[in-house]
Amino acid sequence: MTDLKYIRNFSIIAHIDHGKSTLADRLIQLCGGLTEREMAEQVLDSMDLERERGITIKAQSVTLHYQARDGQTYQLNIIDTPGHVDFSYEVSRSLAACEGALLIVDASQGVEAQSVANCYTAIEQGLEVIPVLNKIDLPAAEPERVIREIEEIIGLDAQEALRVSAKTGEGIEELLEEIIRLIPPPQGERDAPLQALIIDSWFDNYLGVVSLVRVVQGTLKPRQKIRIMSIGRDYQVDHVGVFNPKRLNTDSLKAGEVGFVISGIKEVDGAPVGDTITLADNPAKEPLPGFQPIQPQVFAGLFPVAGDDYENLREALAKLKLNDAALFYEPETSQALGFGFRCGFLGMLHMEIIQERLEREYDIDLITTAPTVVFEVLHTNGETLRIDNPADLPEPNYIDEIREPIITANILVPQEYVGNVINLCIEKRGVQKQMQYLGNQVALTYELPMNEIVLDFFDRLKSVSRGYASLDYEFNRFQAANMVKLDILINGEKVDALSVIVHRDLAQSRGRLLAERMKEIIPRQMFEVAIQAAVGSKILARTNVKALRKNVTAKCYGGDITRKRKLLEKQKAGKRRMKQVGKVEIPQEAFLAVLNVGKDK
Amino acid sequence: MTALGASPAPIFFLPGYHCNPCCYNLAAMFQFSCLPPLSLYIHFPWCVRKCPYCDFNSHEIRQERKQEGAYIESLIADLETELPRTWGRTVVSIFMGGGTPSLFSPESIDRLLSALRARLPLSAETEITLEANPGTVEQARFAEYRDAGVNRLSIGIQSFHDAQLQALGRIHTRREAILAAEAAHLAGFENFNLDLMFALAGQALKEALDDVQTAIALEPAHLSYYQLTIESNTLFHHHPPALPDEDIAWQMQESAQTLFHTAGYRQYEVSAYARPGKECVHNLNYWRFGDYLGIGAGAHDKITDAHTQTIHRNWKVKHPDDYLATAGTSRVIAGSRTLSPQDAVLEFMMNALRLTHGFDHRLFSEHTGLPLHFAEKGLQQAEQLGWLKQDQNTICPTARGRRFLDDLISLFLPDT
Repeated sequence: MTDLKYIRNFSIIAHIDHGKSTLADRLIQLCGGLTEREMAEQVLDSMDLERERGITIKAQSVTLHYQARDGQTYQLNIIDTPGHVDFSYEVSRSLAACEGALLIVDASQGVEAQSVANCYTAIEQGLEVIPVLNKIDLPAAEPERVIREIEEIIGLDAQEALRVSAKTGEGIEELLEEIIRLIPPPQGERDAPLQALIIDSWFDNYLGVVSLVRVVQGTLKPRQKIRIMSIGRDYQVDHVGVFNPKRLNTDSLKAGEVGFVISGIKEVDGAPVGDTITLADNPAKEPLPGFQPIQPQVFAGLFPVAGDDYENLREALAKLKLNDAALFYEPETSQALGFGFRCGFLGMLHMEIIQERLEREYDIDLITTAPTVVFEVLHTNGETLRIDNPADLPEPNYIDEIREPIITANILVPQEYVGNVINLCIEKRGVQKQMQYLGNQVALTYELPMNEIVLDFFDRLKSVSRGYASLDYEFNRFQAANMVKLDILINGEKVDALSVIVHRDLAQSRGRLLAERMKEIIPRQMFEVAIQAAVGSKILARTNVKALRKNVTAKCYGGDITRKRKLLEKQKAGKRRMKQVGKVEIPQEAFLAVLNVGKDK
Repeated sequence: MTALGASPAPIFFLPGYHCNPCCYNLAAMFQFSCLPPLSLYIHFPWCVRKCPYCDFNSHEIRQERKQEGAYIESLIADLETELPRTWGRTVVSIFMGGGTPSLFSPESIDRLLSALRARLPLSAETEITLEANPGTVEQARFAEYRDAGVNRLSIGIQSFHDAQLQALGRIHTRREAILAAEAAHLAGFENFNLDLMFALAGQALKEALDDVQTAIALEPAHLSYYQLTIESNTLFHHHPPALPDEDIAWQMQESAQTLFHTAGYRQYEVSAYARPGKECVHNLNYWRFGDYLGIGAGAHDKITDAHTQTIHRNWKVKHPDDYLATAGTSRVIAGSRTLSPQDAVLEFMMNALRLTHGFDHRLFSEHTGLPLHFAEKGLQQAEQLGWLKQDQNTICPTARGRRFLDDLISLFLPDT
């Protein structure tokens, strides 16, 4: 049994690509968590999607045992954190389970905006933050400059920052010693009534709900009857244990420890993240402070391509929602697309991830409509409406005012690209608030309409800065703006799922680009297809897709007829994947065309 | 025959009704009052060079001639084992295709045809076609092929433009193409076909029509005019050439159709044009869902079995070496399939709807062995869409149906 004073709980804060996962792997390896052979690269990113994209989406934990130079064996619990702005709420959840955090900074690239924001969260939550310079083995490493950046941008004393290379293993042992020296051990009373904070929950098809918890007070054991405090439901604990990083059952989880609990919960909403677990027969008086509920910022419609997938989609969303508190969904009906769900996301990456997980893990073909932000609309009857769907925007004569969300964006960019980034911000209707030269980097603060951010701001920011600019943002306020609904008409019929809300000044150019893009995406059909972009009754742009001339297999003789048949079946299946709107067949990507209109400029 | 054979078929056998083929007795469904006409296809799997657009079973010839004799003997052995399936049925046509059959000497073709005559009932009118390359060597043999019994040639011209021929990987020139047609006339072939392709890489309308006019001037009895299609498993599929857009391709087709018509060639199928009475008997039999034997490497057949009242499709091993090793034994069969009623309906439509003038109701029931109501759902949909006309006796695709033939045929695909 590990005494509290020999436990250390910590997170790793790092920007994408700064080597967080590699470092975690190295720590695991050094503590003997896995043999050389078992080390699949980057073990902590367990979702296929995470490995492919090289990002961490979900919090993960691993428990290690490290024999320190003082002769003691310490239990180290690492709670991994995502590095992308969309998932900052996951970061705060992970941090709530820790007493310390490592700030990993790439010794050649320097500090990035996202790490700054996460680091502030850690400091606010009272964590001990240890700055670490990674990739020190690279010839391009400039530790002195990066130390200065950490001090200037974050305000953390970095003179003593450890210099390591997760890749070569250099400095890793010193790092472990520093973790033990600097991060305080957890507090807690092992005999007190149980309070365990649910950091994360996910649904396993065989085990039901698996929850990652930090035991704050008391002890959690198998066969105990536990109560999920906010919903008041009781369950019997089947297993508790830790990840090492494989799932390993243990006898108990005690105050100060981090691990999983499985208690045969089959309902997907049975163990909400942020809730407190206590014992049914000896409950704690108070639940632990949970996490702030997260407001989704970006909304889009998700529709199954095949109507009979609707129920599957509902079920899949419920399962994803279980460990993704920020995912919001409610039924939506579209004239063009039928039954689906209006979903709220934290940002564009979050939306893409959900979309991909639905398609891959749940095998549902989806049509996603263009993402939009929430607008405040002042109705002429005095009501203030929150509009997250262009189709719900009242007619113009009932609108007194539309207010769009404004964000404050903090951008860090190397000096040579600052001009490009400023131009981009101007194009996106941004207002500069601050500009500061910090070492090689420039810190820009802009107020930008969020509506512009959801379109293609990330991609554009990366491309104008060759990938060097980084961005963090937060909601600031709603502000009156001259917004209009831009409609797309196909063969004279308005397609509700294609409407977008845009600034009036941009309506003309967006309309033209969107109509052009539609023309490229919609395949030729047996008749001509007219595409128009309109605001109200005013047509801003028109174009058309010429009629298909013919669709005939040129040769058919006595050979392999099954091959010809397969081609026909493939054609038919291809059409089934398109959405029939009126008589016109529209491919899935048309509904996201608005995202790409700016790209080829 | 079991009791289920009573006509009309019970309602749950209608096409579109999902039924596992294992759960009913196939023989109970089909009723053939007579057997369809029978053709024979013979495959020659070698070419001098593989063309980048060709997805047929062809192999570049390696050991010059060495296998020619052995292959002819294999074909004969292969036929021998097939004979019991079609005992006593007259063969209306023979088609020697490839590959390049004209790589085989007239002596070999003579040996083959003599062997066939000894084993199959042929009539004097039986159409016997040989596919030929327009090369100089082949032209010199045309008369001897004729003496061997070949009465129709199909010459793979493809284009009369040297640059295009080169791009298509053809080994002949414009000059050889023209001489080949003249040689066919000289050799006494009044019935020969020229194969032409259009919508070739970088081809302009004028160039395509120039090909058409050149072809017409050579006075073939028959013309096959194909739009180049990029098939998978071809070189073009992996390195696609820049083809004209579909509007230009359409113009080529329409203008060519007018030229053919004016010159007295009537279109009778998607890509086939003929002087009256010179339609290809062999291909027509495919398109009318007739029966055919297939011998040679990778050859497919389709045979109606009168005893079991079923339709079968068999195919032979593809690689020439495998074929040479197994011809005459049961191991030469690479696969076989027995058609379900749904298969028969679809495959009939895939063929018969290609015919410009459609087909008789009677042809459907005679050649599929099924009453017409098996196809009713698709026929009704097609008629509603304006893709098909029906009267008392005939079913005919409309001009629009012919233009969107793949969509029309897809109506007969079983719902999945």
